[in-house]
Amino acid sequence: MGWPLVNNVLLSLRKVTLRELISRDVVWVGFDNYRTILADPAFWDAVVRSVLFTAACAATTMVVGVLMALLLVRLPRFPKLVLSISLVLAWATPVLAATTVFQWLFDTDFGVVNWLLARVGLDTEGHSWFSTGRSTFLVAGLLVVWQAVPLVVFSISAALATVPPELDEAAVIDGATASQRWWTITFPLVRPMIGVLAFLQVIWDFKAFTQVYAMRRGGPDSSTTTLPILIYQEGLARSQFGLAAAASVVTVAILLVLLALYVRSAVRAEEVR
Amino acid sequence: MRASRRARGIQSAIALVLAALWAFPVYWMAVTAIKPRSDVVSRTPVFIPHSPTLEHLRTAIEAPGFWHFARNSLVLTIGAVVIALLIALASAWASTRYFFKGRKAFLITIMAAQLAPWEAMLIPIFIVYRDTGGLDVLLALIPLYMVMVLPFTVWTMRGFIAAVPVELEEAALVDGCSRGQAFRRIVFPLLAPGVMATSLFGFITIWNEFVFVNALMQSEPNATLPLWISAFQTVFGTDWGATMAASSLFTLPVILLFAILQRRAVGGLAAGAVKG
Repeated sequence: MGWPLVNNVLLSLRKVTLRELISRDVVWVGFDNYRTILADPAFWDAVVRSVLFTAACAATTMVVGVLMALLLVRLPRFPKLVLSISLVLAWATPVLAATTVFQWLFDTDFGVVNWLLARVGLDTEGHSWFSTGRSTFLVAGLLVVWQAVPLVVFSISAALATVPPELDEAAVIDGATASQRWWTITFPLVRPMIGVLAFLQVIWDFKAFTQVYAMRRGGPDSSTTTLPILIYQEGLARSQFGLAAAASVVTVAILLVLLALYVRSAVRAEEVR
Repeated sequence: MRASRRARGIQSAIALVLAALWAFPVYWMAVTAIKPRSDVVSRTPVFIPHSPTLEHLRTAIEAPGFWHFARNSLVLTIGAVVIALLIALASAWASTRYFFKGRKAFLITIMAAQLAPWEAMLIPIFIVYRDTGGLDVLLALIPLYMVMVLPFTVWTMRGFIAAVPVELEEAALVDGCSRGQAFRRIVFPLLAPGVMATSLFGFITIWNEFVFVNALMQSEPNATLPLWISAFQTVFGTDWGATMAASSLFTLPVILLFAILQRRAVGGLAAGAVKG
């Protein structure tokens, strides 16, 4: 497992195109690949897209997930069962099947979403969701959130179940409002779980390749090319292996920085307490 | 939590709406797959199929290569999961029951391997496959997939093995079992639910795998179902009925496995086997 990673760094310092691969020449170029990549506006566009997409998806997933978990634990038996089954269905659906379904839901002529929006009075008849990068991202983001929420709901409702009800009851007697009780009692107790889940969401969403790629292959006009897609296209479609390796090293570095920021703030929060 | 009756009612109503929202895409996939063509391409969606048809399922199954791709997917998934399970069983067993030099290092490596980002592996792995002639060789994916699910498999398997009381095994040894017999007769039956739960995860991961098969298998005979479905527009054009039928067929095994294994995976088989 470690070797490919080291190899990747080495590759990023070499000129590797199809020609070098076939002749098996090793041409060291130092940091040239990095210079090329970092000077390429398309690369920075992809960075910005990736970061925004990740932030939007992870934040939405967490907020919706936490709210639904709070709802789930309060439900009577029957609605609880129904909601759980629905969530498991969304969770179990293979990513690629889900991607085709979402394309069908958002189809231009016969998609349910267009029909529904037209019903509530929006002019969406014949609206094409995949003609601009932004709305393609919206559909991909909804897909990502739809599939990610179930895990968050189940994990957090499991964590909520460990919160002793006496604490809440005592607060009720003391006259605390619902939001006071959430922020001062429940939230601090489930925060570790929320932290871990948010951490995972950021990693997963940043690396989301299948959903975005299978939706429109990074199009239209490479306006949904995120970092993983850029690496794929640069390396395998254009055979610029050295450049792709450099881009992937930068991607992993960005991910590490994001995660380090998170870990640091988590440690700080721990110290404050 | 003692909410008033009315609050309860509102909560339940919201829950049902959310449930509908989450289940709808799956429902819509299944329903589109069995609707007659005229209902699929209608301006006003038909939510409940009046006259279900198997037409689209037939189109999907009879599409060129469907069975071939399904077989490829199954071979890869089962091959990789079974090998990963065998290796994981042995190494999880060794690392929970015996103390040896480098045990800690071993565990840390397993943890770290779970974090390895595929973006950084794609290019080097592609080049390894190229250099060894593994490109476009279907079975060459098995070792890769096996390695992919191995860390998680070892990790969860350790949890299940740790949950089997050592006393049971010791009792078996006292009664004259060999180490191997003790494992086969006593521990393994107790582990079976764990083995199933772990294999469920492996199965889903590989069944869904798209990134590497997309990069490493370039000719059509070596495609798997995910690749085939991702190219549905070239296969079916805008025939959404057939596309949804294909997606449903692809989803079905996963949901079935979930339904079957969910129940077995949960269950404290070993609970109460030892008197405290």
